[in-house]
Amino acid sequence: MPSISKSEIERALDTWAQHLQQRAAAVDAPLAIVGIVSHGDILAQRLVQRLQVAGCDALYGAIDITLYRDDLDMRGNRPALRSSHLPFSTDGLHLVLVDDVLSTGRTARAALEVLWEYGRPAQVELQCLADRGGRQLPIHPDYVAFNLSTEPVDKVVVHLQEIDGEEDITY
Amino acid sequence: MNPRKDLITIDSLSDEDIHTILESTSAMKDIFTKSVKKVPALKGKSVLTLFYEPSTRTRSSFEVAAHRLSADVTTFTVSTSSVVKGESVHDTIDTLMSMKMDYIIVRHKNSGIPAVIARHCKAAVINAGDGAHAHPSQAFLDAFTIKEKYGDIAGRRVVIIGDILHSRVARSTSTILQRLGAKVAYMGPGPLVPLQQHTGIPRFTCWDQVFDWKPDVIYLLRVQNERIDFPFFPAADYHAAFGVTEERLRRIDDLNLSIMHPGPVNRGVEICDSAMDYRNTLINNQVENGIAARMSILYHLTPQTQCHD
Amino acid sequence: MTNTYITNATWALTGARIDLRMGHGEEIQVEDFDGIPLPGVNGIAPAGEMQVPSGARTIDATGKLVLPALFDLHTSINLEGHSKRESIYRAGQAANHGGVWGMLVMPSRGFVFDNAATLDSFDDAVSQRSFATMVPAGCISEKMEGTQQAPYNTLAARGVTILSDGGKMPESLLMLHRAMKYAAEMGLTFAIRGDVPALTRNTCIHPGTTSYKLGLHGSPACAEEIGIETLVRLAKDTGVRLHIQTVSTAEGVAIIRRAKADGMQNITAEVALHHLLYTHENVGDYDTTFKTLPPLRDRADCEALLAGLKDGTIDCIVTDHTPCLPFAKKQDFISAPQGMVGLDTFLPAIYTYLIKPGMLSWAEVIRACCTAPMAIVNPYDREEDVPVAAPLLLFSPDEEYIVTPDSLCCGTLNSPLLGSSLCGTVTLPIN
Repeated sequence: MPSISKSEIERALDTWAQHLQQRAAAVDAPLAIVGIVSHGDILAQRLVQRLQVAGCDALYGAIDITLYRDDLDMRGNRPALRSSHLPFSTDGLHLVLVDDVLSTGRTARAALEVLWEYGRPAQVELQCLADRGGRQLPIHPDYVAFNLSTEPVDKVVVHLQEIDGEEDITY
Repeated sequence: MNPRKDLITIDSLSDEDIHTILESTSAMKDIFTKSVKKVPALKGKSVLTLFYEPSTRTRSSFEVAAHRLSADVTTFTVSTSSVVKGESVHDTIDTLMSMKMDYIIVRHKNSGIPAVIARHCKAAVINAGDGAHAHPSQAFLDAFTIKEKYGDIAGRRVVIIGDILHSRVARSTSTILQRLGAKVAYMGPGPLVPLQQHTGIPRFTCWDQVFDWKPDVIYLLRVQNERIDFPFFPAADYHAAFGVTEERLRRIDDLNLSIMHPGPVNRGVEICDSAMDYRNTLINNQVENGIAARMSILYHLTPQTQCHD
Repeated sequence: MTNTYITNATWALTGARIDLRMGHGEEIQVEDFDGIPLPGVNGIAPAGEMQVPSGARTIDATGKLVLPALFDLHTSINLEGHSKRESIYRAGQAANHGGVWGMLVMPSRGFVFDNAATLDSFDDAVSQRSFATMVPAGCISEKMEGTQQAPYNTLAARGVTILSDGGKMPESLLMLHRAMKYAAEMGLTFAIRGDVPALTRNTCIHPGTTSYKLGLHGSPACAEEIGIETLVRLAKDTGVRLHIQTVSTAEGVAIIRRAKADGMQNITAEVALHHLLYTHENVGDYDTTFKTLPPLRDRADCEALLAGLKDGTIDCIVTDHTPCLPFAKKQDFISAPQGMVGLDTFLPAIYTYLIKPGMLSWAEVIRACCTAPMAIVNPYDREEDVPVAAPLLLFSPDEEYIVTPDSLCCGTLNSPLLGSSLCGTVTLPIN
């Protein structure tokens, strides 16, 4: 089973942060990095820290999209909820939505719905750690750290130190 | 949390269920701070409130909770006359089944009615209070309020004061608090506090015993004379003997205890006027948390009506 | 007239192995075998010693017990929504399955035994439709309303020996006191359950852990005890024969024990089988099958009732058979009616739960379910002008069976034993 190591992820995040820094310089609106719970928020946090070190300010937010999922009815049980943390209005912001793995695009769709309930952002970008393909919606990422070629049956799992106690991507 | 159709009692829940619903309550409460106080989780679902007993607070709390989850709410008015005319609960259930409701929120004066309804229909049934049996949504909002105030429920000491015998609130709230590691005691007029050998809960009959027990939370029950066919105790005694008087409030203040009450409050009976403005009175927090707790309950139940059969 | 031979049976009372010759119309009758009359038996011998003519009808009863069939002192047969004939037919069939040959039928909504016409039509229906003997208990008050005494003289003329308002204690002690005084002269017996209605109104369960957990109003034991004490005083004052129905509490047993020790000969008492076997804990999560009147109480009460039965304080075990329609029992616990059925399973349940574990002997059961109730009712054949004796039954203790809806003949399903496995099957009548 191929995997991506912790150091590879760290290096990818460095490059990713540099890309964000360039984006921040290119747009007029204030930058907000919003991660999707439960892994995207950690990536967003790390990116915001890297930006701060580089002297670039960005707002940090986290959203739980569970209540906006389109498959709640198909499941026997309801997934647990986590708290969203978006302590600012999104009006006029340049928003970067961060997720760990992009696949069907349904999570991103739900995330867009969430964001609009907090205001009207000027622009929204979608950036993610890994893209495994298999899109079911007209959604395209603006930035991808790792492009993975997978079959639909393959499992792609991202582990991050903060919540999983280890860090890698297996697929 | 495993799929679960109904919420009838706290006893029927696993520890995991209790924790999941409590945790989601916190997430639900975050929704209130958004500019759009609504989420689409139950979009297109129909919620029915079926109250055989008058209630404004619980009913509207459930209605607001359902609306914030984007569900459609129907109020089924059961006039007392049609109950007197002998429409059995079974007939009502048949009617409800034909209405294809997804969630039924029921309150009834007879203990055990929600369980009967739950057994006979596919909708998710939530017990909003049955007789002196159970009131699980109240238990969740109470537990959440204590958790919010103290950070953790384990080790907290809560004394519930009033007519325990006829109180579903006392039963459900004491059960959930004990499950979460709190210590619970009962206090009230002698005939209205069941024996410890029947409840397993320490039983007091005066305030001195309450203060000696060193509680963190004073939980007052509403004195409900309407439910008692013949008086159990002289009502005129209640405030002086069992209520939070000005003098007791000072002591409560000195000890930094919290006051809770499921509402609506009888001022001058359970509680003196100034206690309502006491800094550690959590009664308004309970009302706010009630909506979040009920959203969490609605969200975590899965009606069988979703099965396409 | 041909005889039927029963060979190698075990006489339940003593454990003796016997052969029996049965046949009607013979001149020789075997009477009072171990104090028990044996109707229809014209020959008896130790096992293997009876001459069986070749070709005679023979029942090999090896491994089977022979005993007198049971008499149930407390049965309600009314099937709500069915005809009286159906009620009678079903109860009789159920009784035979449970080893019961005769029963005292309590007045109920469908059978208000407060007038001659009702009694006559009941007797007619029983003689046409019943497998079992059914003795009606007359009403204490007209329409069982507790206000006006029923015409006892008229009822007695139709063979009524026991008066009861179907488990209801009359609220007016004045009415009851006068009724007892009047009826005492006619030798009638009052069968009443001890109760103080004001204390038990709106209650449905024994007060305790279950009532607390389920939020149900408890029926205090003291109501039954005050009731029993009151009845005992009334019986002492009026001299009437008193049969105390369905005693359920330890203190109730103690009150009766004291009264009997005081020399009161005119008191008898009964316990329902379910009060010996179950407690309020069986109600579990609102199981309406276990809603009874009086309610199921604590384990300590069960033990006291059994002790009372063994020392003779309690005379009889009864079924308190009460059919309730499935619809009614499916309601919530407070709305559901009280009562369970017990005729179908009476003897097998007694054997499985009391005799087999060694809590009661066969002799004690025969006394409590046959000789004692017969002595209280004195069933009498008014046409033949002779007392009626219990027929014999055969019991196969080793045959196990599971109680299923199909195995219940009583017409309703409110049996606590549904799904349980019972030991022992009954052959009644033997032929």
